[in-house]
Amino acid sequence: MFDKILIANRGEIALRVLRACKELGIATVAVHSTADEDAMHVRLADESVCIGPPPAKDSYLNIPAILAACEITGADAVHPGYGFLSENARFAEILADHNVHFIGPRPEHIRLMGDKIAAKRAAKGLGIPVVPGSEGDVGSDDEARQLARDIGFPVMVKAAAGGGGRGMKVIRTEAELVRMLAMARAEAKAAFGDDTLYLEKYLERPRHIEIQVLGDGKGRVIHLGERDCSLQRRHQKVWEEGPSPALNTAARNTIGQTVATAMSEIKYLGVGTVEFLYDDGEFHFIEMNTRIQVEHPVTEMITDIDLVLEQIRVADGSDLALSQGNVKFHGHAIECRINAENAVSFRPSPGKIIHYHPPGGLGVRVDSAVYHGYAIPPFYDSLVGKLIVHGKTRSECLMRLKRALDEFVIDGIETTLPLFRALAEEKDIIDGDYHIHWLEEFLARGGLET
Amino acid sequence: MPKGPPKSPAIDHEAIRELARLLDETGLSEIAIEQDGASIRVARNLSGNAQRTLQAEVPTALPNLTAAPAPPSPTQHPGLIASPMVGTAYRAPEPGAQPFVEVGSQVKAGDTLIIIEAMKTMNQIPAPRSGTVIQILVEDGQPVEYGEPLMIIE
Repeated sequence: MFDKILIANRGEIALRVLRACKELGIATVAVHSTADEDAMHVRLADESVCIGPPPAKDSYLNIPAILAACEITGADAVHPGYGFLSENARFAEILADHNVHFIGPRPEHIRLMGDKIAAKRAAKGLGIPVVPGSEGDVGSDDEARQLARDIGFPVMVKAAAGGGGRGMKVIRTEAELVRMLAMARAEAKAAFGDDTLYLEKYLERPRHIEIQVLGDGKGRVIHLGERDCSLQRRHQKVWEEGPSPALNTAARNTIGQTVATAMSEIKYLGVGTVEFLYDDGEFHFIEMNTRIQVEHPVTEMITDIDLVLEQIRVADGSDLALSQGNVKFHGHAIECRINAENAVSFRPSPGKIIHYHPPGGLGVRVDSAVYHGYAIPPFYDSLVGKLIVHGKTRSECLMRLKRALDEFVIDGIETTLPLFRALAEEKDIIDGDYHIHWLEEFLARGGLET
Repeated sequence: MPKGPPKSPAIDHEAIRELARLLDETGLSEIAIEQDGASIRVARNLSGNAQRTLQAEVPTALPNLTAAPAPPSPTQHPGLIASPMVGTAYRAPEPGAQPFVEVGSQVKAGDTLIIIEAMKTMNQIPAPRSGTVIQILVEDGQPVEYGEPLMIIE
């Protein structure tokens, strides 16, 4: 097993990784920018190294600084968390060149899934269902028009290098096709320096359902069921739950097995998530995330499997200790991502937390790195913490969520807690009857103000 | 230098003595704390005459504060050279060689002061201005963080 792991991240995920390391008896190194000197992961780690000034590009994305921190502390592995360098194949390669383990998949799999066109092609080749669309670059306007006619409007164009909604456009009619293509190209060029677009069928009211996998890099892969992350705002997940209210056991096992078999074929290493749009009983591959995800606790709560701990074990070359038969799903879990933002305008609200009281009790988990008196710096994302609740049934889980949200006190900054309190009272949410546009429609009709 | 009897009976003499001792140990010019609604500020004049400013003047005699003051904290010195990167500091171009600079060395802007090794690359840290090295704060081969004080040039 590794002797010392350097955690190349910050915030709640740095703390999450630190907890797994401590339970495995592995020493920890926190790295931080000058803005995070007082951060909880820095305070709790065995060692800490300041690696740069506040901007992420000079600290948490600074590969030479992180490597130098490995060298001076003698860390033999790096856990990248999510975001920052977690899906940077070059970083994984540089670490390997310096005899430091990267806790994540092999660089070729990171690279494959990082290229949206190649990923879709690979998924299709591995028997994973995909959305009908262009195999790759959409080509000229005329080629795009022909393809859109074949698939049928509406269609969606996306940046091949993209993510986060930039370079993404819905085209509803042939008349607006040329104009929308030009806009998408310009956005993609500005955001990613690459204006390659692909085009696919636009699904009107799909759900976002993703399958969690875990592989040992030797061909043994299990799936850990699904998470339903349909409640999104600007392509950012807000509320995640598992199991999905839309799937039954048979559908879950079928898609889970399809994904596990595909990942076994490429001998996938580590944790990963294959994301789908689910519409009309059909799954359509969107992308694969080759890292631990923000919403991984949902799966941990319904399987009792510590995903980060298992991720570290397999990264060290251990065989998968679990078989598909060991994976048992019990109860229901919901996660709310609580951000330091105004709940109506979503304007970021960094600042000092003058009072902090997290909820407690049976079935309640809070993954957060904030504390009483902590000042949220303005340089990074606005996640304050994740509230995860578990119940024997979905309705028990919802009741527990309501009382946990009522207990949660975060004073001094604005948070999105009021949004979740409102959502927990909404009939569609209680019924599990929602899709990926539901939340934006709810917000657009002023659902929160009434 | 005593400055008269305490004007408030609530003054925590022990706390002030403790702060004054810390002031001396750390070489800082001022320490302020706030606790249970009361605040205490202990400060001194670094030019020689010690001075203690408190919410109310108190007679905590600290004779050693009137002696020569400790140098200011390196992190506040205007001539501080802080490490621009994380890595391992080397004072000489190779093991056994003469250090680039010693205390008292005259340097010109651009002269190499120290090397920081990161990712097997030797990064020469140049003097930002001309002057005299008055303090060297790292040992040869010592790991340094970003922003860590390396030396002071006046």
